[in-house]
Amino acid sequence: MKFDLEWLREYLETDADADTLAERLTHCGLLVETRDEVDSTEVWDIEVTTNRPDAMNHRGLAREAAVAVKGRLKTLQHELEETTESAQELAAVEIRDPDLCSRYVARVIRGVRLIPSPQWLQDRLERCGVRPINAIVDATNYVLLETGQPLHAFDLDRLAGRRIVVRRANAGEILETLDGLERKLETDDLVIADAERAVALAGVMGGADSEIGDTTIDVLLESAHFDALSVRRSARRFAIHTEASHRFERGADPEMAPVAADLAARLIAELTGAKVCRGQIDVCPKPWKPTDHEFGISALGRFAGLEISASEVERILAGLEFAPRLDGDRVICTPPSFRGDIERTADLYEEIIRHVGYEAIPAELPILGTPPGRRHPNWQLIDRGRDAAVRAGLAEVVTWAFIEPQVDRRLEDWPLCPGKSVSLVNPLASTQAVMRRSLVPSLLGAARETLNQGERSLALFEQGRVFSVDHEGEMHERERLALVLSGGGAGWPGVDRVGFSELKGVVENILRDTAFPDIGWRRGGAPWLEQSEGAELVDAAGRVIGVCGRLGSEEAARWGLKQDLLVAELDLDAAAAEPVLPKFRPLPRFPAITADMTIEHQLDLPYSEIEAAVWDLAGERIEKVSMEARYSGKGLPAGHVRSTLRLVYRHPDRSLTQEEVNEAQEGLRSALSGRFDVQFT
Amino acid sequence: MGVARLDEVRAAFLEDLGQAGKDASAVEAVRVKYAGRRSGLLLDLTAALRDLPKEERRDYGRALNDLKQDIGKCLDEAREASISGAAAPQDMVDISLPGMALTRGAEHPVNLVRRKIEEIFLRMGYDVEAGPEIEDDWHNFEALNIPSDHPARDDHDTFYVTGDRLLRTHTSPVQARVMENRKPPIRIIVPGKVYRRDSDLRHSPMFHQIEGLLVDEGISFGNLKATLETFLHALFSGHGVDVRFRPSYFPFTEPSAEVDITCIFCGGSGCAVCSRSGWIEILGSGMVDPRVFERVGIDSERYTGFAFGLGLDRVAMLMYGIPDLRQLFSGDQRLTRQFA
Repeated sequence: MKFDLEWLREYLETDADADTLAERLTHCGLLVETRDEVDSTEVWDIEVTTNRPDAMNHRGLAREAAVAVKGRLKTLQHELEETTESAQELAAVEIRDPDLCSRYVARVIRGVRLIPSPQWLQDRLERCGVRPINAIVDATNYVLLETGQPLHAFDLDRLAGRRIVVRRANAGEILETLDGLERKLETDDLVIADAERAVALAGVMGGADSEIGDTTIDVLLESAHFDALSVRRSARRFAIHTEASHRFERGADPEMAPVAADLAARLIAELTGAKVCRGQIDVCPKPWKPTDHEFGISALGRFAGLEISASEVERILAGLEFAPRLDGDRVICTPPSFRGDIERTADLYEEIIRHVGYEAIPAELPILGTPPGRRHPNWQLIDRGRDAAVRAGLAEVVTWAFIEPQVDRRLEDWPLCPGKSVSLVNPLASTQAVMRRSLVPSLLGAARETLNQGERSLALFEQGRVFSVDHEGEMHERERLALVLSGGGAGWPGVDRVGFSELKGVVENILRDTAFPDIGWRRGGAPWLEQSEGAELVDAAGRVIGVCGRLGSEEAARWGLKQDLLVAELDLDAAAAEPVLPKFRPLPRFPAITADMTIEHQLDLPYSEIEAAVWDLAGERIEKVSMEARYSGKGLPAGHVRSTLRLVYRHPDRSLTQEEVNEAQEGLRSALSGRFDVQFT
Repeated sequence: MGVARLDEVRAAFLEDLGQAGKDASAVEAVRVKYAGRRSGLLLDLTAALRDLPKEERRDYGRALNDLKQDIGKCLDEAREASISGAAAPQDMVDISLPGMALTRGAEHPVNLVRRKIEEIFLRMGYDVEAGPEIEDDWHNFEALNIPSDHPARDDHDTFYVTGDRLLRTHTSPVQARVMENRKPPIRIIVPGKVYRRDSDLRHSPMFHQIEGLLVDEGISFGNLKATLETFLHALFSGHGVDVRFRPSYFPFTEPSAEVDITCIFCGGSGCAVCSRSGWIEILGSGMVDPRVFERVGIDSERYTGFAFGLGLDRVAMLMYGIPDLRQLFSGDQRLTRQFA
């Protein structure tokens, strides 16, 4: 909020210069964000937090400043000259709903003229961001910025029956507000009405019908106190935000209404040459009642971590108008009407501590019997996955968790789809309307953007949650890790273009590092993945815990991807909670002998079955089997392939001879031919 | 023959070697002349041992050994000195060529920052907690003293999902969940994703926070100050930041404090980043409001505590000089790879 320094100083007795004032205000909780020199004064933009409506005006801020710089707040003079004619005889006020309006003060001013206000007043308003309109409206705004009390001027002649009725609106009642819009009211809205119809939305905005204009002679000035919640609900429903609603919503001062009415009436009379009628019409069905609070000074000291003297406590509370009474260690005080935010002891502690200054409190680490901190298993799990992906050379990205409904629908076919999707009621955009059920679409979008930037190689991953809802309405969140490879991938040596083999290598490393249990691979993932290069990963119970393969051409086309992409997604929640500690195996003491075996077989005999058979048949003699080479094409019948396996033979207690290995190879060959339709070359 | 002869050979060797200088082939010729395996002078000198009278052999043998060692050592040194001139140009590796580009993986800057912060608090004995991102109104607002229609809800533009659930607008609901289920002492931090319905240069509908909470008997405002000062000095070690506490307002703490550090870009003298103030707002904190304790069933007479929270994205932007929040969520691997 904007404040005029020269204006502020009118309420303040102090020798403090502007720098000191700004610094001390900042230290007591009113952050001076910017300072601009304008003419002979400075305009300060101060952040006033929502709990402090009392400081959203010059006088209230001056009160804080007086305590902060140990100065004095000047008393407010609001005497005024009145005519003999009584306001009570010219107008009447009735409050029908006292739960929403605890007090309504009106004054009548006769003989106004619609002229501009003087330059000094216009300047002050403009410095505070308020547009000058005419002397009458400007006067009400001026007093608002001075005291925080919102005021409204009605054209008295345009109030039917010269009567103010404060009541809930009738259902469907129409009010044209000052901004020219017709508002259809509900029974929750509090209105100011005349004898016939609503003329203002209470505490929010006046009505066009009763607005003062060129023909206005007599003015009824409203200075009232409305319920914060009621004003807030109306203002929100109609999306109106005014200086008045801003203050009422946060809680105005119930005792300020009569004072502000006098100040504004006096100012209007001065500016326009009008006369103020005798007396106020003051209807107050629910007078404000003060409450006493009590606390101990020593308890305050323990809470703060600093002993605070009784005289300092007294100075601060007195300056804030809390009327402190001291009795030994006990303090009894009465928060003023403008401090509705003070409800309990902690609130009083805060008032004192912030004026003592946070900087005055010595920093002291708590003494703790402290066991070492422990990370939630969920964090351990997802960081294991993250570390594994980084170790594989991938770069982490973070993307938004919402996706397009259209893409979401296609995820029904994704083998790792967790259930029904969760939609946002109020998305920012229709393309961000559903919480994602897979990380893959976000990564495809990211991949497309990056490739469009001219990148050739991709190796990226994301770790994050996917969301779903079951038929009972229960929400579910699962931790996932997804990755995308393309072009040269992460720049692995000897790899020009990544294929399924590189993808599987990365996925296998991540599975191992993240401590997944035994995982089986089976064909799957279409139509998202190419049928020929798609796999589902299943755990021992047959649940799909991962998907992995080349992005299908149809899906790639939908995303506008021209370059081949390999994708994978893993359900991290399926991994073990704790990784198993590796167990040491004695290093071999005798040399190994390596022998190759080339097997010609049909393509539909998977390598995994051949390898399993090798282990089954020769497991006690070998320590390692690997795929050395694979050949198909010229010289081989269609549908045939030649696989060269490399076997490492080793005996734990002695050196093997070549003859023994040859013999073992021979035995293995004949055993394999007994099991499969294979030939050896 | 005798020891005198050895001295002559030594002198001649040193002269020859001096003339060979750094010429590798000349050094090699000297080696062949003196220490060659077939006809080197040292062989003759060794053979001469047998012809000496018995009483001279011991001295001679000892001197000969010294000579052999010295010659070997001098030759080694001379050879090493001449090596640069020795290799033929075509065998030389251009050591200025770049090494093989073995790409390393990289973690997102937000997670780098999160782990740094976790590390600091784990050492101070805090647990790292987690909670759901789809929350209910109670944990996100009510339990934290933000009833419906509270003006503070204006700052939390909320995404609602099917049913009465919402996307958490801060990590604080996890505080409430932990306090409901655990007895003090409680020391936790909670990192995680949060969501607000806001999108511009400085706002993203999804971002990251980290939250901290300590509840025990006799916890004071001074304890809060020391803990956060310790934390910020550790996080920004190398910048030597000053820390400033300013009164502020949050519905769930009383009193509340905004915490500023001296601007790490200008050192406090004022620049564009800190709007010329010399200070950067880094976290919000305060003593837990007794109303929050009452709502989650903790005895507010017996226990006090403090809470704090900060934006991980903001810290990452400050630490690494990233100007635009939304770039963090662009999904561009080139951003992340800068932090490998």
